[in-house]
Amino acid sequence: MPDEKIEKKPGVCIPWEEKIKEYEKITGDAELIKKVWEDIDGLAYIYIWFVLIAA
Amino acid sequence: MAEDMEKLYNERLERYVTAMKNGKPDKIPVRPFVAEFVAKYAGFTCQEVTHDANKAFEAVRIFAKDFDVDAVVGNMIYVWTGMTEANSTKYYKVPGIDLDPDEAFQYIEPQDEEGAHMKADEYDQLIDDPTGFLASVWLPRIMKDSSKGDYRSNLAWLKGGIAMMNYFTGFGVQGAALKNESGTVSAIAGALKAPCDILADKLRGYRQLSADFFRRPDKVVAACKALMPHMKYNAYATADPTKTVPITVWLHRGCAPFMSYQAYEKFYWPTLKQIIIDLYDMGWQVLFYAEGDWDKNLKYTAELPEKSIIYHVDRGDIFEVHKQVGHKFCLSGGIPNDLLTYGTTDDVRAFCKKIIDGVAKDGGYIMDAGAIIQQDAKIENVKAMVDFTREYGVY
Repeated sequence: MPDEKIEKKPGVCIPWEEKIKEYEKITGDAELIKKVWEDIDGLAYIYIWFVLIAA
Repeated sequence: MAEDMEKLYNERLERYVTAMKNGKPDKIPVRPFVAEFVAKYAGFTCQEVTHDANKAFEAVRIFAKDFDVDAVVGNMIYVWTGMTEANSTKYYKVPGIDLDPDEAFQYIEPQDEEGAHMKADEYDQLIDDPTGFLASVWLPRIMKDSSKGDYRSNLAWLKGGIAMMNYFTGFGVQGAALKNESGTVSAIAGALKAPCDILADKLRGYRQLSADFFRRPDKVVAACKALMPHMKYNAYATADPTKTVPITVWLHRGCAPFMSYQAYEKFYWPTLKQIIIDLYDMGWQVLFYAEGDWDKNLKYTAELPEKSIIYHVDRGDIFEVHKQVGHKFCLSGGIPNDLLTYGTTDDVRAFCKKIIDGVAKDGGYIMDAGAIIQQDAKIENVKAMVDFTREYGVY
């Protein structure tokens, strides 16, 4: 059965829910990994949309 | 920050904010959107300020020290061609490369279906996943280096992202410098465009979008709705976190003669209106920078909540605008750019007086030209606009 498509909300390029599936297991602080992933992913989002809106 | 500069900054900020909320401050705020004009004033070429963002920032600071203005944009030359050359995008003719060094950059809009950066049969891809479409289809298509192999293509992406980060950091430094060195307020923060203008300017081209209005109207409506949350997010993600200065919506094709009422009602206005209302609910005013003549759209603009926008007049009749919506919104602009280029200082002073007498008596007005002030404006005329307003525009 194909994976359910995860919607990309504003501010997101690759949703964390999609990324976490790529890890076999998380041995440490999952919230920390999620936060940093989302922070940097958000910068990429801003770049893509900045080129569209203002550059 | 020196005590006198802090005092000056606070006075200017108070003046600017009071007017934006449609109040009557101590004097009429002066907030000129000086773009390539600062290059002329500071002794740089258009190429220098367009290609080197640090020179643009420097030129603005030189202007702000010498002109008694309340607020300016950190850099009003909105395209940094150093970045667009690095990420190799196709949209611009660049001074010093494609144009004379003393010409302002030019925007190259898609002209036909072949040149469109989003094809007619790609609406569903955009609607289904806007970010995915932009990253997978649109950006590779508009980056010249995409066709030069992985090395060039990957580097173009990398350089663009890093350049953007540096540029954003530069704006922060610039804002502090303007505050500390000349007590000048940074006038705006956060960029917004109407979803329909995004389709016209960057994706389909105005001509193709006009055809889409008839050939695939449901797709256009759906595309605007799909873009709406992203436009809103990008506006507030880059906005002033203190919500003191407004987000700006740069309005392009919604006015006559580009769009009929029917098209405006169906395609352009609904999502733009909702975005502005949502941003105001979140605490941000929006500078409604209506390029061209938007007088025929006033009945729609009047639907917006009181004080939600600062209405900027370009080619419209500011006196009519004041009559219809001046009770609801602060107005700015109205000084014709061609007057600043071709008129005399007496002409400029007379026009400023006419506007001040006509629309600014009860407050809620900010002095500025109708459009961004470029390298063709005479220095003495811009000075006359600023100095006359300082002298005459006292409440």
